[in-house]
Amino acid sequence: MGRYIIRRLLQALLTLGIVLFLLHYLMALSVQVRGNPALLFFGGERVPDPAMLEQIERLYGLDSPCYERTGDPCLVPFVERLQRLASGDLGTTLQGNRDVGDLLAVYIPNTLRLFIISTITVVTLAMLLGTWAARRRGSLVDHSVRATTILVDSIPVFLILLSYVYIISVPLTKWARGIWGTDSFMGQFFRPSYNPDYPWVTIIMPGIILGTVGLATLTRLVRASQLENLGADFVRTAKAKGLKERRITMVHVVRNSMIPIVTGVGYLFAFMLSGAVLTEGVMGIPGMGRMIFQAVQRQEINLVLVGLTVSAVVVVVVSLVVDLLYAVLDPRIRYD
Amino acid sequence: MAEYLRVIGDTLPGADMNAPLLELDDLRVEFKVRGHRIPAVRGASFTLEQGRTLAVVGESGSGKSVTSQAIMGILDTPPAKVTGGRVLLHGVDLLEQDEETRRSIRGNHIAIVFQDALSALNPLWSVGFQIGELFRVHRGTSRAEAKKKAIDLLDQVGIPDARNRVGNYPHQFSGGMRQRVMIAMALALDPEVLIADEPTTALDVTVQAQIMRLLKRIQEERDMGLILITHDLGVVADVADDVAVMYAGEVVERAGIRDTFKRPAHPYTKALLRAIPRVDSVGRELEVIRGLPPNPADLPSGCPFHPRCFAAEDRCAEEVPPWTEPAEHHGARCHFAEEVYVDER
Repeated sequence: MGRYIIRRLLQALLTLGIVLFLLHYLMALSVQVRGNPALLFFGGERVPDPAMLEQIERLYGLDSPCYERTGDPCLVPFVERLQRLASGDLGTTLQGNRDVGDLLAVYIPNTLRLFIISTITVVTLAMLLGTWAARRRGSLVDHSVRATTILVDSIPVFLILLSYVYIISVPLTKWARGIWGTDSFMGQFFRPSYNPDYPWVTIIMPGIILGTVGLATLTRLVRASQLENLGADFVRTAKAKGLKERRITMVHVVRNSMIPIVTGVGYLFAFMLSGAVLTEGVMGIPGMGRMIFQAVQRQEINLVLVGLTVSAVVVVVVSLVVDLLYAVLDPRIRYD
Repeated sequence: MAEYLRVIGDTLPGADMNAPLLELDDLRVEFKVRGHRIPAVRGASFTLEQGRTLAVVGESGSGKSVTSQAIMGILDTPPAKVTGGRVLLHGVDLLEQDEETRRSIRGNHIAIVFQDALSALNPLWSVGFQIGELFRVHRGTSRAEAKKKAIDLLDQVGIPDARNRVGNYPHQFSGGMRQRVMIAMALALDPEVLIADEPTTALDVTVQAQIMRLLKRIQEERDMGLILITHDLGVVADVADDVAVMYAGEVVERAGIRDTFKRPAHPYTKALLRAIPRVDSVGRELEVIRGLPPNPADLPSGCPFHPRCFAAEDRCAEEVPPWTEPAEHHGARCHFAEEVYVDER
């Protein structure tokens, strides 16, 4: 078990290192090809005094001569950046000179709330629908579950979001406010945009909608793995032991079918990061997805890098957690 | 001994202790596959007395495993369905009991050991948990007490160092040890009937003999009725008391073990016996039964064995043979049972 954890940890660190280097290299290439982002500091329009430009370049770590040579991996600035990250210095934005750490303190909790709700939605729905479909295999229920989930999954998430905002959200908000008032739970619940005064309530609906991303995949995963276990020999043994139907399901089927489901949830989590950009954009939630998207538009190199680093860390940590959950669930992995 | 003493009537209302332990009367099971009803068991009858071992012998597809699962009541319904007959335990017809009663009979009165212990045990729970589960569900025993009983059982089936191995998982045991775990699990609630469905087929030859001896020892110690399902007559020669030979979903011959080996009354049994390799057959070509087992969806007319039978005549293809008893406690479903019995065919 100890060796398994250490091996997985080292693999995670290696993955993270490679991802961070690739990010840095892509950023360096963009500077080399597109030109100096330090000009943004001066509004990007007028040509600044060369002495001041040099000072700003030094301040943002853009003074290395490697940025002049297209294709140079810029290893020295990479190491410097890692050192600064390690010491907790996330740098500042080019425009407005704001501390990136402060920005993250606002954005990360919002995205986290969104993801918690999405994950709960997708896991609950997929477990319920998948179990139901597996129990009634080949019946109308099974086919309708499959058809519905695939339909929901094949509609782009921004379309669902826009239809929700314009068709459902606006009239429902009007109706709810008429009955319960603007400041009530219901009055805020259907709000078409995020309200920082109600950070949980106004994020539930966007979270549920984001949760439908990948619902079909996970539902079918749950269905398939439960079917496999329902027909397994050890379930027949459990029946022969005179166990009750519910105990057989809870003790001998659910745990065994959790292994593929845990994998699925791990991948979905990474997949949802891309959905978050759209959801946060349409619903006006100040979160990581929207932040990265806007930073890319404004050529805020440092902000892009920090944002992507955070999401890379999240994905690596989630897959590490998935690997550890395997070991908890399956003794064959634990004792290998 | 007090530990083993219990009142059958508590969990099996209406039990008649003078009736045979387990009696199968014309059991019929069908499978429904894509609208077609395929008979898997077509009237199986046999009797098992307390303290006896009955070997149910037949090729794969002869319905012997389906029969055992029908006795347990663990057939997947659908597609399988018991369409007729009676399964009498102490004179009580199990097929007429509600699901709750049947569930409490499983493990308590009838237990089963499956062929492949690796897939029959849940890979994610320790063997101690899986054995203890029986006490906890049926007897309401505490976790700690159940573990103690599990250790005791593992010890009884000959697993060395049971105290330390009780927390191990199925994949940490060898094939033979896993089968012992299965047997311990089946014995947990001290059932009167133990069904062993090809218990040694997945094992090495040397381990096979050990498991057979273990089953025999336990059966004698506990005075159980043991049903030994196998495709290999040779395996059961020294352990069984009676033999029921199955072919195409029916019992074609029933007799004591000595009679079966010495004077089989059904040509199929005779052919099976000839197919057992023996020391004096070294150098000679092994005899086989020509042809393949019949497809249950498309059985031959008359006697289902006639296309493969060395003694078949025209009437075998037309008339279903009746049950004939050429001797006491020795019956066969063959037109020529008498002649085969006295070795004239």
